[in-house]
Amino acid sequence: MIKISNLSKSFQKNLIVDDVSIQIEKGEVLALIGSSGAGKSTFLRSINCLEKADCGQLDLDGFHVNFTNITKSQKLELRKQTAMVFQHFNLFQHRTALDNVKEGLKIVKKMSDKTATEIALKHLEDVGLSDRVNYYPKHLSGGQQQRVGIARALAMEPKLLLVDEPTSALDPELVGGVLSTIKATAAKGQTMILVSHEMSFVYEVADRVIFMDGGRIVEQGTPDEVFNNPKSPRTEQFLQSYKNR
Amino acid sequence: MSVKLFDIDIVISSIPKLLQYLPKSLYITFVSMIAGLFLGLIFAIVRMKKIPVLSQIIAVAISFIRGTPMIVQLYLTYNGIPLLLKYINLQYGTEYNINDVPAMLFVLITFSFNEAAYNSETIRAALMSVNKGQIEAAESLGMTYFQVLKRVIVPEALVVAIPPLGNALISLLKGTSLAFVAGVIEMTAQGKIISSSTFRFFEVYLALAIIYWVLTIIIEQILKLLEKKFSISDVHTDVQKRKWTSLFNRDREVDR
Ligand SMILES: Nc1ncnc2c1ncn2[C@@H]1O[C@H](COP(=O)(O)OP(=O)(O)OP(=O)(O)O)[C@@H](O)[C@H]1O
Ligand SMILES: [Mg+2]
Repeated sequence: MIKISNLSKSFQKNLIVDDVSIQIEKGEVLALIGSSGAGKSTFLRSINCLEKADCGQLDLDGFHVNFTNITKSQKLELRKQTAMVFQHFNLFQHRTALDNVKEGLKIVKKMSDKTATEIALKHLEDVGLSDRVNYYPKHLSGGQQQRVGIARALAMEPKLLLVDEPTSALDPELVGGVLSTIKATAAKGQTMILVSHEMSFVYEVADRVIFMDGGRIVEQGTPDEVFNNPKSPRTEQFLQSYKNR
Repeated sequence: MSVKLFDIDIVISSIPKLLQYLPKSLYITFVSMIAGLFLGLIFAIVRMKKIPVLSQIIAVAISFIRGTPMIVQLYLTYNGIPLLLKYINLQYGTEYNINDVPAMLFVLITFSFNEAAYNSETIRAALMSVNKGQIEAAESLGMTYFQVLKRVIVPEALVVAIPPLGNALISLLKGTSLAFVAGVIEMTAQGKIISSSTFRFFEVYLALAIIYWVLTIIIEQILKLLEKKFSISDVHTDVQKRKWTSLFNRDREVDR
């Protein structure tokens, strides 16, 4: 089980994530929804130490860190246990798809070139890019780039996958491929936190949904509970704005 | 017998005489370029990290170097360092001999700092141009800062930095012709010597110009090759795969 407790993060004097605690079971898909500026990305990035949280704790299968006084080696260990999929893919531009996926395996996990290549090829095959392994990011479509990003993250076999709006930088016709990749990943039992504005996808794929507003958790429950019977008027208002689109 | 107005034979025969001093010119160029890159990187990091005092001193020094002619800087070091030595001798009773300082040292110091000033701005801009997302991606994989620097930041920054650094190298090569000011004999100084003994000024200087021009063309071609190697073409081709990264990680090609 993964437990994040009392995480807070402020920029200058603004409290952006306000004392958020969550628990995730192994294999669970936890979706984070909420309006723009709610602090969803900041929360995800704090878990991965891309932002330094003011305070909070994390328990990950017996690995424990306190964000207030996290050490360098804890930070590296935490990042080895987790992996991130970015809104803007963030692929290494001067490396091919294959090398993007191999990078962490070789440099962080110190695998041999042969082993890294085998694992990377398998993950690229899983995301349907076997015919693009030697392409550079700029020769791939946005959707293909994002699938490389997913393969790169999954190759590290993270205990927790952090996914931040994987499709919001994509043209509509490319969204489907990425969503089905994430769905397949979820079906394999990958534990993940997914931030998304694709409400019907969240409804379909998530085991549990958390609605965040103003840096706080307003409501959580199964997709059915949150989407069909929201308890908080704020949640209802938020969901309504989507239906009206 | 009348003297020819222009004698091509003298141009041709001057070339080997001038080339005797090519190693000197190249020596000044490459030593100053390497020292300038190294110092420039340090200057750039000091300024990017905003290290107090040091950062301000470097900013002023860079502004001074960029704002004054090279020849004046050479005069300043050439006359300033002996002055400094005299002062030290007087102040501390030491007996450094000004005449023991090789002329080449004045030249190398001036050129190195001059290069450092220009390169530090190039390096700073290149390091800052590296896309933050790629750095975060590398960090999130669990890389240490040094690994991120080596695997992501430097390779990405090089693509941006190569053309301006190449231009700096070419200016430097041509700038070495000023070294005579400090009493170092390199190609241009040799040209002055030959021409004043033969009185065929135009021919000798034409030979000199041709040598500099050819050298510049060679450097330009090498730079073009480097640039091509370091950039990724607009369309995918099977041939170009991995040629770029092979410079940084020598892993085998993957056949598929
Ligand atoms: N580096 C930063 N410096 C200052 N403020 C920041 C920084 N990053 C985020 N913020 C602020 O934090 C707030 C939350 O941002 P965040 O990106 O977490 O929102 P979000 O819920 O992910 O929104 P969206 O759905 O638009 O992605 C915003 O008001 C933003 O301006
Ligand atoms: Mg966001």
